[in-house]
Amino acid sequence: MAATRDAFACMGVRDIQAGLAAREFSAREVAASALDRVRALDGATHAFLETTEQMALEQAEKIDAALSAAVASVPGAGAAGAAGTRAAAEAAGAALAACGPLAGVPVAFKDNMNLAGTHTTCSSRMLAAYVSPYTATCVARAIEAGGIPLGKLNMDEFAFGSSTETSAFGPSRNPWDLQRVPGGSSGGSAAAVAAGLATVTLGSDTGGSIRQPGSFCGVVAVKPTYGVVSRYGVVAFGSSLDQVGPFARSVADAALALDAIAGRDPLDCTSQEAGAGFAENLAEGVRGMRVGVVPAFMEAKGLTPEVRAKVEEAAGHLRALGADIVEVELPNAQAAMSAYYVLGPCEAFSNLARFDSVRYGYCDPGHADLGGQYEASRAKGFGPEARRRIMLGSYLLSAGVYETYYYPAQQVRTLITQDYARAFEQVDCILAPVSPRTAFRFGEVSDPTDMYLSDMFTISINIAGNGGMSLPVGLGAETGLPVGVQLISPQFKDHNMLRVAAALETVYGPAPVAPDFRECATFEAPAAIPDAAEAVPGKDLPGLATDGDAAAGAPVQGATNKEKGGSPMRSEGCEASERSMAEPPAPQVKRGGEGGRASSAAPTKRVPHEQGSPVDCPGEPGLSERLGAAEDARSQVEKAGE
Amino acid sequence: MRKLEEVLQDWEAVIGLEIHAELTTLETKMFCNCKLEFGAEPNTHTCPVCLGLPGALPVPNKAAIESIVLAGLATNCDIEKRTMFYRKNYMYPDMAKNFQTTQGPVAFCMRGHLDLDVDGIAAKERPGALGREVGEAWENAVRTDEGYTAHVGITRIHMEEDAGKMVHVGGGEGRIAGATHSLVDYNRAGTPLIELVTEPDLRTPEEARLFMQKLRQIYLALGISDCSMEEGSLRCDGNVSLRRRGSGKLGVKTELKNMNSFKNLHDGLAYEICRQAEVLEEGGQIYQETRHWDPSAKRTIVMRVKETADDYRLFPEPDLAPYDLTDEFVERVRAKLPELPDARAARFAQTFGLAAYDARHLVEHRSTADFFEACMECAGEDAAALAKPVANLVINDVTAWLNAQKGASLQASPLTPARAVALVRLVSAGELSSKQGKEVFAAVLEEDRDPAAIVEERGMKQVSDAGAIEGVVDAVLAANPDKVEQYRGGKTGLLGFFVGQCMKEMRGQGNPKVINELLAKKLG
Amino acid sequence: MTQHLTERDVRGIAEYARIGLSDAEVAQMTIDLNAIIDSLKPITEYDLAGVPPTFHPIGGLSNVMREDAEEAGFPQAVALENAPKQQDGCFLVPSILGEGGDR
Repeated sequence: MAATRDAFACMGVRDIQAGLAAREFSAREVAASALDRVRALDGATHAFLETTEQMALEQAEKIDAALSAAVASVPGAGAAGAAGTRAAAEAAGAALAACGPLAGVPVAFKDNMNLAGTHTTCSSRMLAAYVSPYTATCVARAIEAGGIPLGKLNMDEFAFGSSTETSAFGPSRNPWDLQRVPGGSSGGSAAAVAAGLATVTLGSDTGGSIRQPGSFCGVVAVKPTYGVVSRYGVVAFGSSLDQVGPFARSVADAALALDAIAGRDPLDCTSQEAGAGFAENLAEGVRGMRVGVVPAFMEAKGLTPEVRAKVEEAAGHLRALGADIVEVELPNAQAAMSAYYVLGPCEAFSNLARFDSVRYGYCDPGHADLGGQYEASRAKGFGPEARRRIMLGSYLLSAGVYETYYYPAQQVRTLITQDYARAFEQVDCILAPVSPRTAFRFGEVSDPTDMYLSDMFTISINIAGNGGMSLPVGLGAETGLPVGVQLISPQFKDHNMLRVAAALETVYGPAPVAPDFRECATFEAPAAIPDAAEAVPGKDLPGLATDGDAAAGAPVQGATNKEKGGSPMRSEGCEASERSMAEPPAPQVKRGGEGGRASSAAPTKRVPHEQGSPVDCPGEPGLSERLGAAEDARSQVEKAGE
Repeated sequence: MRKLEEVLQDWEAVIGLEIHAELTTLETKMFCNCKLEFGAEPNTHTCPVCLGLPGALPVPNKAAIESIVLAGLATNCDIEKRTMFYRKNYMYPDMAKNFQTTQGPVAFCMRGHLDLDVDGIAAKERPGALGREVGEAWENAVRTDEGYTAHVGITRIHMEEDAGKMVHVGGGEGRIAGATHSLVDYNRAGTPLIELVTEPDLRTPEEARLFMQKLRQIYLALGISDCSMEEGSLRCDGNVSLRRRGSGKLGVKTELKNMNSFKNLHDGLAYEICRQAEVLEEGGQIYQETRHWDPSAKRTIVMRVKETADDYRLFPEPDLAPYDLTDEFVERVRAKLPELPDARAARFAQTFGLAAYDARHLVEHRSTADFFEACMECAGEDAAALAKPVANLVINDVTAWLNAQKGASLQASPLTPARAVALVRLVSAGELSSKQGKEVFAAVLEEDRDPAAIVEERGMKQVSDAGAIEGVVDAVLAANPDKVEQYRGGKTGLLGFFVGQCMKEMRGQGNPKVINELLAKKLG
Repeated sequence: MTQHLTERDVRGIAEYARIGLSDAEVAQMTIDLNAIIDSLKPITEYDLAGVPPTFHPIGGLSNVMREDAEEAGFPQAVALENAPKQQDGCFLVPSILGEGGDR
């Protein structure tokens, strides 16, 4: 079983479905293995905040039942002989197709996506006890498409951040190097796929929150055009910027997943029909396509040589594959940064006003007046970054200030949109860096210039609403860590970037599972982050198993609670108790024993967060620091330009 | 405090209204598919959207947009095709999202107006109005035969959503002051609401009341709201300031709330005008504040002082696509415009020769106007002749009956147009006295039978034959010689006594006109 | 760095946003917000005369509406499921006016 379990981890959608159709294994085995891996390995990555074991197994059984019924209905299917087998396989294949394009595929969702009956925490103390009574459209579509829902994934609190360090439940870790961040805000979504814990995950991207973690973790990460995927049921950060998209280890899988979740949703006024199947023209190649590169991006200060080299290398491959590489200009892209830090906080301020301790969410106990309850609940329920952005948005929208920042920011949006429209008159797709560098270490004092430019490559796409994606193109020459290149599409021509990505993938190959997570039987434990290893263990936490699979099969705590129907983690009355959460995961996976048995680290769910950030992972530089630094960086850039 | 009439001699009141109407005739809420229902169990008509759950998104109700366009067309507004929704941000527990979705500087309906006919006692409130020549125009008014017509500008009508309902517990009489806690019910949250804002063109509390009444008639005619002030589906706030007559300078205004009936609207404004005048005359200062009309105490009390303008952080709602209404959309709505009360009254006056006053009263309610119209159809060739008595029946008896039977439907009542016309015919032909007519009217409603059958059964035919009546008259006079003596001695007030005696003898069936004539002749 | 906001301003914003901040937090927030607002300066320096705003990055999409048809909502118990405090089928909030409240 263990070997199969790890084999599943490296499979793509087609592999899983081929195996299911051939009755080589059952959907239940796929689901159980995936859950098993999460249990065993997520202690290292902390990608998951909650697992939905029962939902996963029920979905798997549904698929297995459909397959069994289809096979049983074939006359003589049980009989030996090639004809009987073929007929049975065909029937199973048809039944599987009827179950949907993601039938049997382990999927998981960023924890800002509602799934009825599960927590939707947005990695915030504010929603630690919140159990959603409804399901987001994208989640519903993924499950209706046959996806096996494994659980909910860690993120930066309310998506404010780019490292998952602002998560109230502790950060996720980059499967390629557990000392490093997975990126963010959809860090859990990227890490889960990179670690082979899920085949497909969904994330959301407001300023780069899908693409940057995709690049850091070396997986395919797609932020489609604004409006392609419904935002209904996805907790809003910046409503005019947010967009949902998939993570996967191949372009084909990402395209299939996008097909499953895309399209007009009557519940989201800004959603639109996305057009033809995204997976259909992937094999067409790039011959005759025009791919743009932006010289200003390539010459940007802070772009590390290894990333630059990778982008240039990718351009070279595209040229070799028959594409025309054309230089295009985006003269107003520089303004995207300040426009983003106006629009994002303004929308966030308003979107987060609903967290008021009345209908749901953290309610500070013991207040006789509503004002006191409001102020204490919001002060304690929101982390520092959320508080800062709410305050900033409130200020920027106030009378007299609106005209100075918000309105001009929306005018700048027009200019940036026009820039892209002009560029896309010349090219079908633009090739650019995602992030100027590879994943950074926890607590690493990043070069602020990097930070600023990091956002710059991704943010303008959200401002204009185009599609953008990160495609892994191997490891950086210097750091040996994954590097992604960004492909940018015109609005509602997302298949352009997917087609270019698929062509590049023929060169680079599909994204591998991070090395340490491939064969867990021989899983080489990365050194623990010293501080994290010393972190106070949770009361009810079993220690990490040192050998064998003693803890294998132990249900994930959250799931157990869930399955009992109650939610002991939920607060009663106003005395908001935390979700029962353990301390930050200690990323320490020991060498497995003999005979291919996996070592299993009992997963540790739910990190308490009395003091905000966990001790071992100093938070990302705050917005102010980043922007302060950004200002310096900008003036440097401007000076350089003079 | 001085009386309103005196105050208005010295001061000019400048009044503007903000009128909220819930679109109660729709099936569902503004931004979600939850049912609209007044009085349901708390929190039984909610969903992620109207509870403001994380991740929920609004989708506008098309019928609500049609309704507001209809309202705009009916109040002479320009329909703004390019408009959008905004978020009005403020935290209050009855607002699930802690912002209200409303409109910004450009509403669906802009720059409208209504012309108000002000006559009778109402016209007297505006000083000097009745002293003018008919046809004379001044300020925003023109003198008419019966009073004046005032032109009242409508700034805008915008689309928004209502808040939930709160019950305050622990304070006196459910008041928020002193309450230990409050209970929130979101059934009403998200109810489509249209807010009409007038220009400050109203000059008297009567004009304000008439405006509100007229608007209510229009909304009822459009069928977009049940306009129940009692249940709060039609609500009105007023802004009032005073300025010295002859001065162009506007005073500081106060905002008046809780005027939840036509009477309260009038009385609240009247009180506030008098209060402001007193303060100003004593050298005091009016503060920009919100005041609450307390009808039982008959005074306004201050709710809060606005130190600065409210800053609601208004910005365009990113979750809702903007509007660019097509001509086709607007024309489709225009095609649904029913005949409005003014036009209908004019037609009634024109077609049936009714007085303008009667016609206006008939159209006050759509049901009575419809009923009158149906009666005229039944009357056939006699329509013109019967119009006046039918109108009287509707304006007086029918309206009184409807008022007495709260919530009764005229259309569902036993009084069909055919029966009403039959009754009026009997009275007009002199076959029933007007008193008998009232009896039969009541009997029709009570017994659900035709007037003829009731008259027949009760033997109620009026006796007009002079010969038959003369005998009775003679007998009455003969039985009361002393009274006859007194009458002839100058006590002519006794005539009524003789008439009563004759009617008694005839069991109410004698034609009073004939009895009177005969008595006068014989006593004279 | 320009002083866009004083601590008093920040207290006002916090009050409006209903976030209770300690004195130390106000001081830190004032520094943070001033730095951020400083960095937004470029947006104030663009020549944007005649440039229309794009509030909705959805192209020409407009008039998105639904039919006026009822759909089932939540039973009361579900509506109240996450309520920190409830009573009689309603969400319960403590005294709204408290001390010196309004409305």
